[in-house]
Amino acid sequence: MSGPAAADASAAFELPSELAIDTDVARRVIGDFIRGQLQQAGFERLVLGLSGGIDSGLVAYLAAEAIGAERLMCVLMPYRTSSPASRADAEEVVRRLGCASEVVDISPMVDGFYGEAEAGDPAAASALRRGNFMARMRMSVLYDRSVTFGGLVIGTGNKTETLIGYTTVFGDSACAFNPIGDLYKSQVRQLSAAVGVPDAILRKAPSADLWPGQTDESEAGFSYPILDRLLFWRIDKRRSIEEVVALGFDRVLVERVDRMVAGAEFKRQVPPIAKLGPRTTGVDYLYPRRRPGSSRG
Amino acid sequence: MLGPMQTIRMALAQMAPALGQLEANLSRHHEFLEQARGEGADLVVFPELGLTGYLLQDLAGEVAMRLDDPRLAGLAAATEGLSAVVSFVEESADHRLFIAAALLEDGRLAHVHRKLFLPTYGLFDEGRFFAAGDVLRAVPSRLGVGVGLAICEDFWHLSVPQILALDGAQILINVSSSPGRDLAATNEVGLGTATSWRTVMRTYAQLTTSYVVFCNRVGVEESISFWGGSEVIAPNGALLFGAPLYDEGLFFVDLPTADIRRERIGLPLLRDERPEVQLREIGRIVAERAGLAPDSTSDPDAEAGLDVAPGDPVARPIGFHREVHG
Repeated sequence: MSGPAAADASAAFELPSELAIDTDVARRVIGDFIRGQLQQAGFERLVLGLSGGIDSGLVAYLAAEAIGAERLMCVLMPYRTSSPASRADAEEVVRRLGCASEVVDISPMVDGFYGEAEAGDPAAASALRRGNFMARMRMSVLYDRSVTFGGLVIGTGNKTETLIGYTTVFGDSACAFNPIGDLYKSQVRQLSAAVGVPDAILRKAPSADLWPGQTDESEAGFSYPILDRLLFWRIDKRRSIEEVVALGFDRVLVERVDRMVAGAEFKRQVPPIAKLGPRTTGVDYLYPRRRPGSSRG
Repeated sequence: MLGPMQTIRMALAQMAPALGQLEANLSRHHEFLEQARGEGADLVVFPELGLTGYLLQDLAGEVAMRLDDPRLAGLAAATEGLSAVVSFVEESADHRLFIAAALLEDGRLAHVHRKLFLPTYGLFDEGRFFAAGDVLRAVPSRLGVGVGLAICEDFWHLSVPQILALDGAQILINVSSSPGRDLAATNEVGLGTATSWRTVMRTYAQLTTSYVVFCNRVGVEESISFWGGSEVIAPNGALLFGAPLYDEGLFFVDLPTADIRRERIGLPLLRDERPEVQLREIGRIVAERAGLAPDSTSDPDAEAGLDVAPGDPVARPIGFHREVHG
């Protein structure tokens, strides 16, 4: 289904050829983007939630490259069932970059709300509720550390999960800005290989790490290279359903992914405000986020 | 006749304007002008909206200047013995806001070009905030050559470089705020925007046998990174100078004016141009599109704006109707 791996990709992952990007240009644009966002906001530091997965690992490397590791704070926020391997991978990123880090165990926050009943227990909240709640607790911790460390929260969501809605609104999608939100998962892997994200992170199956053995691809029932290619042709290249089926994609998958993308539209946009007055924020009061007077500096 | 200058020394100010900060950007312009003067430049070109930044939205009205604005006069005053192209938001007497580029020479405002084509699609929303200009003129310059000004999207319409060249321009200057996009590894220099702009500029330089100057900004605004890559293309379509992508800087290029003459004599495309054919045919098309005349080049059953009726391949020369040959 997918094309040949690009020449610069390691065998650790599959990179469909049409998704291969120029990683040098990407690093340059993202570095300028990170520095520009900070400068316009009057900040010099960044706070990042580091899970041990590839998305936040890549952003840690890009942030350190853009502003220096000494201005980056990585916050590790495991829950008591989180994989020890994830934590070890996150700690390896911190060790290699030499940035500041802190571990905040979110178990008391989550268990304090839901009690200690385990997933699967009929009395327990569903995995979906617990997962969303964990994501929002992590968001709360990051925004608190944004104050204590004096840094902006940098986002780590990728384009694939943003499009299909595999995110928690006001949770893991919350950030001041996001440097990798226009990269598909396959491109995240390609760029991660280019910037030197540890091999262990590059090779492992992506996971939300909500329960042992969970992986994105087994849960959703598709592989990232196929999903990324499908989204690329449907969205970036504006191909119709009939055209992507003719390209070889399974019609059932195509229609299912289309529904996921449409169903997640609300997660990608600022909530609408009822139009009542003469000039309404986001409707006909339109300013750039940063303008004269808006920098805190 | 060629003017007195054998070589035009030009400076490309590939800068990152601060969004909405007119005073700060004015200071930067003055600094660049002084530096360019110090290095012997005859012509200094700044990017589109270099005095204001690009993604202004409702800030546009707050940074707009009338042409008699003292800040503009101050910039003009800094061009004694120099030519400069600067760009800003111009407010007309009837309070329309234009994206404008001005040619400043020897202390005066020599020419103003108002952006003709306002992209309002994809990531662009200019038509919401700005009025489109109506005038396209090439103007004489103290440089001894005709100068044609255009702004970014103006160069995505074939008529613009052609009209400027026919009107006497020997240097076509396009100032831009072009957002970089499409990082596909298959692109030249890894950036789709750079590939498409380079194609356009080389084509225009060759077809108009003129110098083409492209001055694009750098820097980040909101989600957008402006990619720089300013260029000067010689009248034979060859790259004379290319600035780096994304780096801010003042870049100097020498333009030998003899190359214009050499190319235009060797490849007399402008001599052989047939503007009267264009005028005639475009006059016809305008009338037909307006419904003032029947569409003389379409199949009888074609929809308005289309020449070909669905399922009915063209079977006869354009302009000959079925009843004539049928």
